[in-house]
Parts: sequence; structure tokens; C-alpha cells
Amino acid sequence: MRNLYLFFRKYYFYFLFLLLEVISLILLFNYNEFQNAAVYTWSRQVSGSFNSMFRNITEYFSLRSTNRILTEEIAQLQARMPEAFYKADTNTFFINDTLYKAEYRYISARVISNTTNKRNNFLMINKGSLNGVQNSMGVIIGNRLVGQVVGVSRHFSWVMSLLNKDSRVSAKFKKNNQLVNVEWDGGNYRYGTVKEIPKHFAIVPGDTIITSGNSEIFPEGIMVGTIHDFHIAPDENFNSARILFSTDFNSLGYVEVVLDMMRTEKEEVKTSFEGTEE
Amino acid sequence: MTGKNIIRFVVLVLLQVLVLNHVSLGGYINPYLYVLFILWLPFNTTRAVLLISAFLIGFTVDIFSNTLGLNAAASVAMAFARPLVISMISTSSEFEPGSRPSIHSQGVRWFLLYTIILVLIHHFVLFFLEIFRLSEFLSTLMRVGLSSALTIVLVFLAEYLTVRKK
Repeated sequence: MRNLYLFFRKYYFYFLFLLLEVISLILLFNYNEFQNAAVYTWSRQVSGSFNSMFRNITEYFSLRSTNRILTEEIAQLQARMPEAFYKADTNTFFINDTLYKAEYRYISARVISNTTNKRNNFLMINKGSLNGVQNSMGVIIGNRLVGQVVGVSRHFSWVMSLLNKDSRVSAKFKKNNQLVNVEWDGGNYRYGTVKEIPKHFAIVPGDTIITSGNSEIFPEGIMVGTIHDFHIAPDENFNSARILFSTDFNSLGYVEVVLDMMRTEKEEVKTSFEGTEE
Repeated sequence: MTGKNIIRFVVLVLLQVLVLNHVSLGGYINPYLYVLFILWLPFNTTRAVLLISAFLIGFTVDIFSNTLGLNAAASVAMAFARPLVISMISTSSEFEPGSRPSIHSQGVRWFLLYTIILVLIHHFVLFFLEIFRLSEFLSTLMRVGLSSALTIVLVFLAEYLTVRKK
């Protein structure tokens, strides 16, 4: 017993080192497991309220660009108002609830912390479960893609930005609906990678990439970016291209969380099929 | 002495989470100046205190920047290496009790070597744990190198600024 004590006394430095490293790594890996993010609600509340306090001050410095983005969005929305259309025949203009059932609802939220300089970037927004935000909802700004909710506490949500190694967006070419995947390989936050472009498909720089609407996360037609350049890989099955994101991730002020109101129905359809499969 | 270190702790954490976390040169070079706290702990700090205070500052930075465990792991690794590095690069093992590593008492060459080795260890652990895959080895290594350079420059800036006050 005494020898054991002496042994620990002699090597306590190494044991303490191992203990602290193990604690850190357990925290790190459980935390990165964003599915069970609820466990870390406490830490998130602390950093959330702290960051929102800080944002309250720094927000004033970016008012000019925030205003510009907001006015752009107002202009876009006004273009969709009934008043913006020329009514050739007033009799045909009516709203039919059975024909147009609202599918998406948008929750506006303020970004209170955001990074673009890490390999895995996240945003924190000031809307949480109290406002109806849930896990794996899409986050957009205007009509441009931002990321996906991965953790929710009562007042805040944790959003995995497109600039993340785990982020993978199902997208398509606007011109012919060719399905591709968009990822981010690190480095410059303005550019990402479009993967799995079939060999026969001709790419032109400037081609627009939009979300495919294949997942329940984003509606169809959200802008992802435009093709910047591409390279043909002769010995691989697919070509890839570099994409210039249409979102400027470094200047996010207000974003919208997309709430798909038919999501449970869509999921039910899927599971009902899987149930009968065999 | 303890009071001085607590003030350093608070100032460096605030500087890190309020200012330096938002600094990114060229997109992905960011400095981690809070390691200065570990570099500046006195020579006669017991090794247990060294590890625990490194863990605490890493953990505090983590809480505020939402990377639970990441900075703590890197800081503890750095603190673990510190006694080893000091004994490796020092010619005599006698230090004035209560004194801290500085250019003033140990000389520029000693302090430069000390800072480079420890900052590289810290940043290496930090960036590789953050990415946790080897496929981006070279680009991560570049991030480690560039960010370390920036941190080292800031450490020296801080060192010279405090020396002038004396």
C-alpha cells in the first residue's frame, strides 16, 4: 500500500497530465457529437449570453452593411408583392387556399457569434426552442444558403455553417437540374467545392448552383453559389469544380431559419415505406 | 504573485475571446495569445499547479468560444512539456525564486527557443484536434506554422511592452 502511494507520489505529474487530457478529450468528442447537443446547453447559455452582450456593442459598426442587405431584401420582397404585377385580367387574380398551402415559414434571427477562420465553423443565433427552432432546420439569408441548425437551447441555437467539414449540401445546376454535392475543403471562406459532377456534363464558369430540395432541410432553389473554375480529372469517375459562395459568411447580421411545416408528413411517408420494405 | 497571475489570467482570456478570436489574417491564420499565461508562470510553480492552471485557462477560453475541451487539451499538453523544455534548453538549473521566464533575465535566444517550442506544441495539438483527420495534413501544418508565427510575434510584443514599464 505504501509502495503504491509512493508510486503515485513519484509519478503524479504524469497521472495528472493524463487525467486532464482525458477530461478535455471527452468534452471535445462528446461536444462535437452534435446530435446530443442538449447536454451542453449550459455552456451554450453562458457563451450565448456573453456573446450577445458583446454583439450588442459591435453590431453598431456593421449597421451600414446590414442596412444595405435589408434594403436589398425589401426590394426583392416588394418585387413579389401582388402590387408589383401588372394585372391583365383582374378576374383571374385571386388567392386560393386549397391550391397554395403554405409549406415554409421563416423565423428571423440575429447572429450573435460567427467564425469563418476555423476548419469547422459554427454560428450562434438568438432564437431557440421557445421560438420554434428545432434540430436540422435550414438557415438562409435572403435567398442564399447559410447552414443547418445542429443544437438548440431555450433561447439560442447552434448552427453548423456551410464552412464545416461535416457540412454537405445536396444541390443542383439551375440550368438542367443536374444533382451535385457542395462541400467546403477549408482555406478561403469564399470558395467551396462541387463534387460528383458526371463526366459527360459540360461546366461553364458562371453556372448557378441552387439547392435541390431533396432533403427536408432546405426548400428548392436557395442560391448556393456560382461556378468559379473547374478541372477535369481524367482518371476519376467524376469531375469537380470550385464554387464561389453567394453568401458572404464573414458579414452575417440577420439570418432566417426555415421551418418546413410539412416535414413530419414527409418523414412519415419515408418511414412508412421503409416499414414495408423487406 | 498569485494576484498578479490572476489578473493576467483575466486580461488574457478577455483579450483572447473579445479581440483575438475575431482576428483572422488571410482567412485562417489566428493567434492564441492566451498561452502567454502559461509561458509567464514563475519557474518555481509546482507542476500540479502548472497543469491545473493551464487546464483552467484553456477551459475558460473554450467556454467563451464554444469549443469545449479543445483549448484545454492543447494548453495541458503545452504545460506538460514546459518543465521538460526548460530543463532541455537551460544551462543551469538555478532560477531566482519567484521569477518568471523573460528576455530580461534569460536572454533573447533562450526566450525565443522556449516560446517557439511551446507555442508550436500548443498550436499543433489545437489545430490537429480541431480537424481530426490526416487527409488535410499539409494544409493543417501550414496553418499551425503561420498561426504560431503570429502568436510568437505577439508574445514578443507583449514581452517588450512589459519590460519597458520597469
